Amino acid sequence: MVLSLRVMAPNRIVWNSEVGEITLSTNSGQIGILPNHAPLLTALDMGVSKIRSGGQWSAMASMGGFAMIDNNRVTILVNEAEVSDEIDPIEAQKDYEVAQMELAKAEGRKRKIEANLAFKRAKARLEASTIS
Amino acid sequence: MKSVKSIQKITKAMKMVAASKLRGVQVKAENSRGFWQPFVALLGDHPDIESKKNVILTISSDRGLCGGINSTSVKFSKAMFTLSASEEPAKYVILGEKGKVQLQRDSKKNIQMVVTDIQKMPINFTQISMIADEILKNVEFDTIKIIYNKFGSVVSFLPSVATIPSPEVIARESEAGGKLEQLESYEIEGGDSKAEVLQNLSEFQFAAMLFNASLENACSEQGARMSAMDSSTRNASEMLEKLTLKYNRSRQASITTELIEIISGAAALEAAS
Repeated sequence: MVLSLRVMAPNRIVWNSEVGEITLSTNSGQIGILPNHAPLLTALDMGVSKIRSGGQWSAMASMGGFAMIDNNRVTILVNEAEVSDEIDPIEAQKDYEVAQMELAKAEGRKRKIEANLAFKRAKARLEASTIS
Repeated sequence: MKSVKSIQKITKAMKMVAASKLRGVQVKAENSRGFWQPFVALLGDHPDIESKKNVILTISSDRGLCGGINSTSVKFSKAMFTLSASEEPAKYVILGEKGKVQLQRDSKKNIQMVVTDIQKMPINFTQISMIADEILKNVEFDTIKIIYNKFGSVVSFLPSVATIPSPEVIARESEAGGKLEQLESYEIEGGDSKAEVLQNLSEFQFAAMLFNASLENACSEQGARMSAMDSSTRNASEMLEKLTLKYNRSRQASITTELIEIISGAAALEAAS
């Protein structure tokens, strides 16, 4: 039994194949999805999802969205997503450090929120690029 | 004739510009279709859902010379407006200058919000999410019906309506006997409450469908402009041909007249001497 996974961003299809297991990052923690999971609808936060396909784990950084699971079909809709082999680890590390600095010196509510979002994004990308 | 020739050049150029813009937008529109389909698979598309506060979102273009697509959108919007009359009259939210101009003429008091100049930069999801956010903040609704021209092919544009229910309506209909009954069988996670997740879902759905609808309408606009400019160019060529013939004939007629005058003048002089 396998899960059929589709990950879609507004401008492209990020993933479309059958996989064995998925770990999703929601704002109430991580959820593991195995075949024959009960129907589920969950919001995803900005983080890393892990996908096991053919015995190998890959990671995907996603920037918020929704996951719907029904009948071994998993549909993930995200604002933006990158699979780990699309991310350059050195660049991701640099982005992360820059975002960290920006977050530390951000002032004013609006800047803090923006810096926070940029930081989360950089963190997710860095994690994804270092996992697989 | 010179003016007709230059018009012909301009329309031909406009057609080519529209054709190249169309190629770019078409790819984006097709890619964005996959994005809203899971929402429809989950929540269905229920244009007949019960709703008191109706909002009609008309998508139109900012620039003209694109055939009849804006008039079609406006016609359909007005029809939807009449159909969705309930205790409260429906409200319009308009995207695009042309729609605003046409609807302002007779429905000015029902227009709640207008957004123009969207196409200053290529349409992307972030921009549309912001517009969606603004609309959600400022407009109260039970359902939003998005009216747009779906791109069938370069010569076919289908007026379409996409219905987006509000989170409250989704919650109401997902109870037993409602249209969204199958939603109950889903475990809902990821927020502090089911209502919060449904709210985020509804907002995301709105942004996704608005994104696709705007892209489809932009494609239809470029396609309609291509065929409008194409027929203009052909008209201009025909006109140019007719004018050229007319010009030549009148040129020959005036030469003949001059010759006749000269010859009759010369003959008169000869006869006199």
